[in-house]
Amino acid sequence: MWIDEADGFAEIFRGYLPYYLLVALPIFIIMSPVNPVAASHEFSVYRMQQYDLHTVPHGCRSASFNLEGRSLTSWSTSRHCVVARVQDITIDQFMEIRAKAGALLLVLPKNDTVLTPEEKEHIQLLEMAMIQQEVNAPVYFARWSPDFEDIIRDLQHSFITDDKSGTALEAMMNTVSSNGYQIVVSASTPQKLESKPVTLHGKLVGRSGSSQTIVIAAHYDSSAVVPELSQGADSNASGAIAILELARIFSRLYSTAAVRGGPSILFVLTSIGHSLNYFSAKKWLEEQLDSTDAALLQDVSFVMCLDSISSSPSMTMHVSKPPKPGGAAHSIKSRLGVSINHKKINLAEDLLAWQHERFSIRRMTAFTLSSLQSHKDPSRYTVLDTPSESNLKNLISNIAVTARALASHVYNITDEGSDEDAALYNDALAVDEASIRHWYKYLTSQSRAPQLITTTSSSQGVTGALERALSRYMDVSVSAHAVDKREPEYTLYGPTAASLFVYSVKPAVFDLILTLAIIAYLTVVYFAIQLFPRFYEEYAKLVTGKAKVH
Amino acid sequence: MTLYHFGNCLALVYAPYHMAYKFSGISEYATFSKCVYAGGLYIFTQLCKMLLLATFFPDTDSSHITGEYNIFLEVLKATVDFADLLGLYFALNAVPGKGHAKILTSAIGWASAEVVVTRSVSLWVGARGSEFDWRYVRSCAESNVALLHTGATAALVWLWTRSDLPRAQAPLVATLLALAPYRALLEDALARALALGAWALLALRALHAAALGLASLAVYAVLAQQIGV
Repeated sequence: MWIDEADGFAEIFRGYLPYYLLVALPIFIIMSPVNPVAASHEFSVYRMQQYDLHTVPHGCRSASFNLEGRSLTSWSTSRHCVVARVQDITIDQFMEIRAKAGALLLVLPKNDTVLTPEEKEHIQLLEMAMIQQEVNAPVYFARWSPDFEDIIRDLQHSFITDDKSGTALEAMMNTVSSNGYQIVVSASTPQKLESKPVTLHGKLVGRSGSSQTIVIAAHYDSSAVVPELSQGADSNASGAIAILELARIFSRLYSTAAVRGGPSILFVLTSIGHSLNYFSAKKWLEEQLDSTDAALLQDVSFVMCLDSISSSPSMTMHVSKPPKPGGAAHSIKSRLGVSINHKKINLAEDLLAWQHERFSIRRMTAFTLSSLQSHKDPSRYTVLDTPSESNLKNLISNIAVTARALASHVYNITDEGSDEDAALYNDALAVDEASIRHWYKYLTSQSRAPQLITTTSSSQGVTGALERALSRYMDVSVSAHAVDKREPEYTLYGPTAASLFVYSVKPAVFDLILTLAIIAYLTVVYFAIQLFPRFYEEYAKLVTGKAKVH
Repeated sequence: MTLYHFGNCLALVYAPYHMAYKFSGISEYATFSKCVYAGGLYIFTQLCKMLLLATFFPDTDSSHITGEYNIFLEVLKATVDFADLLGLYFALNAVPGKGHAKILTSAIGWASAEVVVTRSVSLWVGARGSEFDWRYVRSCAESNVALLHTGATAALVWLWTRSDLPRAQAPLVATLLALAPYRALLEDALARALALGAWALLALRALHAAALGLASLAVYAVLAQQIGV
């Protein structure tokens, strides 16, 4: 009997099956696309910074990977892509991942409000640590989404681990029930971006007879570990907005000859700031000072740089040389009523501390106004530098204070006199809150990383918008700078964004178990069909027997 | 997931059909061409149904988006499935031989065509991709249930065409046949009411098909004894 049934099984393979399949299947496989199905999850992800500064590499050096996703605790080899929330990973863990893991995918928090101050500080420090050195594995960041939350939870509670489970049965059940994820990013290999930084400057000409010039400068780019996600609200959208607002206020005052101030005011907006060593300011100064007619910067009274002025209502004046009493800088200082933070220029360091040092190096009196106490403040380098209503309030008040101090210096007012004069004065120096609000919203609505703003044409994007805004008040010149071909001061790399696919997969053993299950099922079906005649006989007897009773 | 996984799914779909054909005895009648004929009839019936649906029913894709669910319209659309019964009737007529051979041949042909038309493409595309989903395994298992159900329906249609059907059983057969087109609708409604998962729904379908099969087998047995087959 057993032999008969074995024959039956053999029939399946001998009979109809499948000789034609031997031909048909390979043809199908050749004809169909390699990866015919779309993943169930597709996300936009943003690559970590990659740049060289003075040919020293920083950041992430590769872009594509196809690896199995693991949580922070369960990863072990370079065949794993670690997926974690950015607030969960410690700096030590990052260093280990940097050395050993295949890739890293960090999910940003849902929004700032879910973070405690400690977590915020931790993320900022982590960002600083990440950008210090180069990372050979691809590192990506993703915005928070519920799907990611599920994936992270799945990975954390996943039972696919390399160590043995209790029993073989348990291990089998685990492979059937657990979900694995294959994480794929296909992006081109990192390539150098053609970076064309620019500097915008415009001049309000003072009364003839006086040739002194006041320079007000700010950079308008932002810096963070992820170029695509660096909104840079405080650093340094605030400074750029202050420039625009001061330009508006003083262009109104300078438009009539009667109230025109003595010194000329030069407004400068540079496109590369602290992250790349104030390259734009350096090049612009070289061009202006070393050209044959250095008229623009001939008699500079002082240079005022504005950097990160929205994080608190008070400001600090950062100088590289203490201002002399009686000098212009000292006059501004006393009119602003700010404290002084003196820090000598350290040329041995990789990065200059503040933008004014570029001017101080060229022997100009220069200082930076900032709400930050130190140039090392991690808030200048973070993705958490997002717009907020309280920062906007600080910004408005700081701009008002600066405008007032500057005006009182320009017109050399020591006493504001009668109430009537003061009212007139207030009216002339009033800041336009709506316009500040509008610019704050616009500049922080997008990323202004050097990778993005210096690679587009200078008449487009943020640069173009700033130029058009400034040219409403004065004639604006745009100077484009070039990076040295042989010894580039810096190099930027793309791509900055990519698409990430997450496939849910099962371990290879799972297919074997499934095969066993299917074979068992088919055996049952086989015997069911074999036993059907006998079953029918019994069943018919049962049914018709009852039928006869009726 | 992989080609291997696809092979698994294929085995799950193909083997029961093959065994049903091979071991039920109908292969001895050399009726493979009749099976193909029944399959052709299935495809023709579906085309006719599509024409009917496209001509007389409003476009429902937009209402799917808005999430409206018009029960009356769904019932009306399911009514069009009576054409399936008509198609099965023609298939049964085309097959010569005894009752059970007629039923099995047309049912197997019909169900195979259904599998090929409705499931093969999604299986080929889905089960071979890198993404794993239980859906494909489930769909394969469902095709087995569909075979059982088609067999039961074919038996009912055959019984209905018999003039010597016992009077006592006629109402039962008529009721079951009348309900046949609404089977999927009823199952879905029940699954919704009981908040069943996908696997539970599959089990429900299997139970339903088994019950239907047993009922039609009982009537068949009564008839068979009466006419002495």
